[in-house]
Amino acid sequence: SKLHPLTGRCVLGSAGCKTDVDQLRSVLDIKMKVYAHNHRKPMATPSVAQMLGNTLYYKRFFPYYSFNVLAGIDSEGKGAVYSYDAIGSFERTPFSASGSGQSFLIPLMDNVISHKNRLDERRDLPAEEVVEIVKDAFLTAGERDIYTGDAVDIMVITKDGIDKQTFQLKAD
Amino acid sequence: MSEFTCSISPTEGAPEGFSFDNVHRNAQIQGQLQSNNATRSASGNSSSASVLPLATKTGTTIVGVVYKDGVVLGADTRSTNDTTVADKNCEKIHYIAPNIYCCGAGTAADTEKTTELISSQMELLRMNTGGGQSRVVTACTLLKRMLFRYQGYVSAALVLGGVDHHGPHLYQIYPHGSTGKLPYTTMGSGSLAAMAVFEADFRDDMTEDEAVKLVQRAILAGIFNDLGSGSNVDTCVIRSDGSVRMGRNDITPNEVGPLRESVRRSDVLNMRPGTTAVLGETFVRAKGLGVTLADVTVSEMET
Repeated sequence: SKLHPLTGRCVLGSAGCKTDVDQLRSVLDIKMKVYAHNHRKPMATPSVAQMLGNTLYYKRFFPYYSFNVLAGIDSEGKGAVYSYDAIGSFERTPFSASGSGQSFLIPLMDNVISHKNRLDERRDLPAEEVVEIVKDAFLTAGERDIYTGDAVDIMVITKDGIDKQTFQLKAD
Repeated sequence: MSEFTCSISPTEGAPEGFSFDNVHRNAQIQGQLQSNNATRSASGNSSSASVLPLATKTGTTIVGVVYKDGVVLGADTRSTNDTTVADKNCEKIHYIAPNIYCCGAGTAADTEKTTELISSQMELLRMNTGGGQSRVVTACTLLKRMLFRYQGYVSAALVLGGVDHHGPHLYQIYPHGSTGKLPYTTMGSGSLAAMAVFEADFRDDMTEDEAVKLVQRAILAGIFNDLGSGSNVDTCVIRSDGSVRMGRNDITPNEVGPLRESVRRSDVLNMRPGTTAVLGETFVRAKGLGVTLADVTVSEMET
């Protein structure tokens, strides 16, 4: 799966070279085990975010070919999304997209999630509605990007845990 | 490049050999783009494309099969610009003559214009030679001579099929101008997926129904297993009795409608008028077509 839960409240999604992605996940899992052992608690999402950034920069001159998106619940119980480049530059953002279909998803989310370039009244979107928007967005990306398709793994992360669902896309 | 003038014979005045004029021009353009790039990066701006724009390719799975009473051609309907789908339902089976059709893979403009040109030449030839039926081998020869003349720069890979008084014929034509005459053939990026189906199930002297089903399964293999092919299956049956059945969108296994329906579409995706800021409006009345009726007088022509 392209999504990898790192803790019970934090999920890592990665695009790029699969072997580097797999290795990065392996390395992160080990580092998080060590953290949990030393601090006697699971790692908080902002800490994971920083550690991922550091791990990527550690290989600044032979990078992991991995374009990551980290999502989870922060220490205040609110949702957090972090976007990364291949060498560890990261930023907390309202949303993120990575991969061959990102050009189709980002403009749509700019308009719908961040409410950019719109004059109508902005309202808070509940989780279920956002999931439906994500499904619609992936249908669109699947139509026009040849690499996007088959199925989408969706994980909804709340303070109570991670809800997983799979949405089928066109297989052509 | 030279054009065919409106002369009696379509091949009269045809140029010989390959014209290298545009090779020089293209190299110049490429050089200009690259030096623009170099100066722009030096001044710190982000670079624009340093290569010539990509042509739309057809990705593609195209097939042809000879059966007992004719030929069946098949094609998918996806055309791509690198990795983006440009057209989800394009037509890849082109008309050449009432009894001859041609599937095209490669650069979309090349396949379209090449088949149009040869179709036109065939029509003129029919008119010039007593109005009979065209032969498939004639179309094949015209196509291969043109493609060889362009040394592969016209990127058109074709599956040509039809029926004439010698029976049903199927040809494969490569961009460099080589041809093969075969009972079944596949071309395009999805050709391997389609050929796997053919090699397993092709038999000589199939019925029309069996042949059409085989062609459909071959194209479907390309659609689902090759990323460069997708959307729908087009078929074309050309029978010995001269009748043609054009099966445009014969099978449509990739309708997005039902998938969209299954999503509870959020209201934020319905954008009412007023959602986008309007900074200003001007209305310009359309002018006339530029034709003014003058006074018309009629006088007899003197011969």
